[in-house]
Amino acid sequence: MTPFELEEPVLLGAALALLDPEDSSVRAIAGGTALMLMMKSGLYRPRRLVSLRKLAPALDGVRSAPDGGIEIGAMVRLSDLRRSAVVRAAAPVIAETLLTHSNVRVRNVATIGGNLAQGDPHMDLPPVLIALGASVRLAGPGGERIVRVEDLLTGYLETVIANNELITAVIVPPQTGWRTAYAKVTARSADDWPALGLAVSVRVEAGIARDARIAIGAATETAMRLPGTEALLAGRAIDDALLQEAGRAAAAEAPVVADHHGSASYKRVLVAVHLGRALRQTIAGAER
Amino acid sequence: MSDATRVSSGQIGRSLPRVEARAKVTGAAEYIHNLRLPGMLYGKICRSTVPHGRILRIDASAAAAIPGVHRIVTAEDIRTVIAEPYYGPAFHDQPILAEGKVRHVGEPVAVVLATDPHIAEEAAQAIVVEYAPLPAVFDEIEAMNSAAIVHDILKPAGTFPDLKHLAGRSGTNVALDFHLRRGDTERAFAAAEHIFEHSFRTQQVMHTPLEPHVSLADAADGGVTIHSATQTPSFVRIEIARLLGWPENRVRVKTAFLGGGFGAKVYVKLEALAVALSLLARRPVKLALTMEEQFFTISKHASTFRIKSAVDGHGHITARQCQVFYNGGAYADIGPRVAQKSGFTATGPYDIPNVAIDSYEIYTNRPPAGALRGFGVPQLVWAYESHTDLIARALGRDPVEFRRRNLLRDGAPQATGTVMRDAAISAVLDRLAARLAWDQPFDRGAGTLKRGRGLAIGFKASISPTTSVATVAIAADGSCILYCGTVDMGQGSTTAMAQIAAEALGIEAEAVRVVAPDTDVTPYDMGTLGSRSLFHMGNAVRLAAQDARDKLAALAAETGVPPGANLPISEQFRRKYGMQAGTIVGAGSYIPAYAPPDSATGLTPNATPFWMVGGAGAEVEIDTETGRVRVLRLVNVADAGTPINPGIVETQLTGAAIMQLGFTLFEEMQFTDGQLRNPSLAEYKIPGIRDMPDRIEAETVDSAQQSGPYGAKGVGETGTFAVSPAIANAIEDAVGVRISELPITAEAVYRALRRAAGDQLEDL
Amino acid sequence: MTAPRTIHFTLNGAAVAATVMPHQSLVELLRERFDLFGARESCGQGLCGCCTVLVDGRAVSSCLYLAAFVDGAGVTTVEHLAADGDLDPVQEAFIETGAFQCGFCTPGFVLMTKQLLDEIPDPSDDDIRHYLSGNLCRCGAYPEIVAAVKLAARRQRGA
Repeated sequence: MTPFELEEPVLLGAALALLDPEDSSVRAIAGGTALMLMMKSGLYRPRRLVSLRKLAPALDGVRSAPDGGIEIGAMVRLSDLRRSAVVRAAAPVIAETLLTHSNVRVRNVATIGGNLAQGDPHMDLPPVLIALGASVRLAGPGGERIVRVEDLLTGYLETVIANNELITAVIVPPQTGWRTAYAKVTARSADDWPALGLAVSVRVEAGIARDARIAIGAATETAMRLPGTEALLAGRAIDDALLQEAGRAAAAEAPVVADHHGSASYKRVLVAVHLGRALRQTIAGAER
Repeated sequence: MSDATRVSSGQIGRSLPRVEARAKVTGAAEYIHNLRLPGMLYGKICRSTVPHGRILRIDASAAAAIPGVHRIVTAEDIRTVIAEPYYGPAFHDQPILAEGKVRHVGEPVAVVLATDPHIAEEAAQAIVVEYAPLPAVFDEIEAMNSAAIVHDILKPAGTFPDLKHLAGRSGTNVALDFHLRRGDTERAFAAAEHIFEHSFRTQQVMHTPLEPHVSLADAADGGVTIHSATQTPSFVRIEIARLLGWPENRVRVKTAFLGGGFGAKVYVKLEALAVALSLLARRPVKLALTMEEQFFTISKHASTFRIKSAVDGHGHITARQCQVFYNGGAYADIGPRVAQKSGFTATGPYDIPNVAIDSYEIYTNRPPAGALRGFGVPQLVWAYESHTDLIARALGRDPVEFRRRNLLRDGAPQATGTVMRDAAISAVLDRLAARLAWDQPFDRGAGTLKRGRGLAIGFKASISPTTSVATVAIAADGSCILYCGTVDMGQGSTTAMAQIAAEALGIEAEAVRVVAPDTDVTPYDMGTLGSRSLFHMGNAVRLAAQDARDKLAALAAETGVPPGANLPISEQFRRKYGMQAGTIVGAGSYIPAYAPPDSATGLTPNATPFWMVGGAGAEVEIDTETGRVRVLRLVNVADAGTPINPGIVETQLTGAAIMQLGFTLFEEMQFTDGQLRNPSLAEYKIPGIRDMPDRIEAETVDSAQQSGPYGAKGVGETGTFAVSPAIANAIEDAVGVRISELPITAEAVYRALRRAAGDQLEDL
Repeated sequence: MTAPRTIHFTLNGAAVAATVMPHQSLVELLRERFDLFGARESCGQGLCGCCTVLVDGRAVSSCLYLAAFVDGAGVTTVEHLAADGDLDPVQEAFIETGAFQCGFCTPGFVLMTKQLLDEIPDPSDDDIRHYLSGNLCRCGAYPEIVAAVKLAARRQRGA
């Protein structure tokens, strides 16, 4: 790693002021697990890092919102998120997903804000949060704005977050009536990054899928929704034929890319198979 | 006093925890990785970005201008301290730094020296090298007849007499061709009832020891001390002395515990460069690679194996032809020996009267390949045991029965003509079949999860002719120090050698202290490689301890101690010297008999001092919708002779099998036009704890190696032999498709399933 | 500032101070300034676990952790476990079950096991596999490591 300035502001306003809208060699660092990798490999050579460590008290904690949803402080570490009783009650899929996300040490350090801000398509949380309909609160010099997670991520390691904006919280809306499942598919070792991450949320009434949110990650350049497949499911009676049809539709719709994990055509197979399996899992959960 | 009359002190067959166990669990164990020397500089290597090219210009001006940079070193500088800066165990083909041209991506081109490793690294990235690309070749078959020539002329080292004939060959990428002919294969094929022919491939993989390569050199006062994570301290001393034109006694090589080796750390790796840098800088220099850099340093051969067998009407294999092509990468390293030595056993552990073997080591523009836990043999077993299973299936014969019918038994000549002795091939197969309950019904799964089982068996000739020397010193208080150059890289040699010495001396293993290899102190040993140490060094240690014991007996006689008096050793010393004084030194040297293969036929009456035999059985479950393979159970059975330390032997077997599981299912160095796409543990995945099969078992069969120390023989590689074909055979048993190329990824299985269904997966 | 700064923290129970550069990692600090070699950098990517240490009681990869960030924190390394000369029950269990070969990854496994047993005193096979999935042992001592974790758990529960 090459030398850089390290600032550790205590107030959010000071942190924002230390960021530079025009200079990408100035960046915020939270847990730093992803940024350290980029710096160690020489891919990123910062001039200045603005540590959010001392902001943590203000950006920490998981709170129940009055509407039944939850608000997660951006500096909440993934291991705390996994153990949070509030999360387990409101959106258990987040806790389940984190069991196999990276490893214990990374989860002990990495924050949910940093996880999303990185824009890495191989992360497990983005598709899950998209399927949950989650948003982030962004703070900038001009104030706050709320952006849906699906709109936050625009490409490989690309987001709509400006250089002088910070994620301060993640907002998960109430999940009444919704069931969510996440399929993590690895193609090499069990602790590998996913070849495919597929999150499926459905609202089922009397065997009919009233509504669905389907999000894909890892196999695509960025995590994204599959609206065509969602539309196909909406209002239909769920049976094996529909699951197969939806699987085919998702495989056709998702702009999957080839990489170390496998060819694009094979990943389409994985999408088709695991969409059906994940849907079955959500329905089984709904019927319990 | 002969061995037979002595009372055993019970050290053999004792599952003693590793003697260094406490140091390892507390983090106190010494590794070269930890070493710092006063005044030391760190070297960081600037590496080639092209697979084959002429170096037009090295511009280090920007790098040199970075504050804190001590010096930039290129090949030109190396020449000022080493006149002919080319090294290698088999060929002197590898430049210390690239001269004139580069032959693979990642080849060292220049080095930055600085007191701060961060500065050295930054400066190394600031060096600009311009190349004129040359045509490159990456595939071993293409390289056989390619216009792209990696080395203009072959330069065998002369270390191994059987490579000398290659000197001066030019215009070829074939670094070595080994040919073996026994019987009349042509006639046998003409007379065959059935002929089977298949081709198999393996991928390039890397050892990934968790302690990356590291060497320090400290040249001072007309000598040089090298601290290196090496498996071959004696070889390093000899090779560095040769490069410098110095006598061996001015070169000192020290090691500590190794954080894994697996063949990566044999012969010279960073040592020559470290020595040259230290001579230039007149300061100690440390070269410590990152995990990424290891991928460009040494690897395991990718290979292609074409195999053809003739079978008669009774299910006997009457002839086998083997053509093996090893992709050696840009530098020979020990590859030529891999091609030759593995060639001895390419037909498998079967009694086949007519055999023809052609084994080739081939230069390509990939990172170099050398020895990795099996010296080419796992690549062979992958092919011949897949092939053997295919034959059994095609003939409608049970795979165990078919193997049993053709098995090589003690007393019969093997492919080289060497008569088999102390090789428990039948016992290994029998125990494997029994453990798998082969004759019992098997749960074949249901729905989209199909189950199958398979087994395979392989064997290997040990490396020869090689020497080990050990000394044992008995101090005046009766305590014992063992000086042996075997490097403990996790295999437990320190513990096993202490047990052997203790058994010979009639004391407890805990009373023996084993000195870490240091060429100024520990005598010559050929190297810790090829599962040779327990046998070769074990014999030398036994002889050294017996020599010391005989000298103790002489001392007792001299000082008037009556036989059987049981007088403490310290008392005997006191009687002789009048105080606590004196040392008894026992020496042992071991070199087994060996006959080199005939240059025309490849035959030899004595191919190896001992045989290693390893079998594996696998039970797998396949997800037919995705091709995902789950190994439910992995059984390893081995002939390790009489284990010195059964507990350590078992962990060696399962550990080797888990490593081979990675090579079987997902490990792969992936290249595009010679550029390695995955040089990190983020993208080159090795097995983790969740990749362990649900059940993993190891067993050693009841056997004894008559020529081994207390009946023992080496076992470090044995657990790797048969894992890959056992899994492929189990997959075919489960879902009826045959995978002939490693790794067996889910995608490969899925594609095979689609092909078998006549519905090939299209790449859009 | 790129300039060095002085940090204060608790290291293995003792208050210490150190001058660090902002770009220095925790594993470098522990080795170069404090001669603690139990944590060691191998993969450099937080994947192998060889550099595991505890910061405020939580296991982290010290190769991915800026040294400056331990200012005010408590750092525990493997050296602390047997500081009084007696091995920790986890260390004893690793020895008794032969849960290592080369030993390079062992301090990391030992510390992760400590934290696992703090969180889950009676872990199932599945718990063990998930918890230790971020530690790599190239020697493949995984079966013995699982056995070691179970043995240590039994001992600590007094079962």
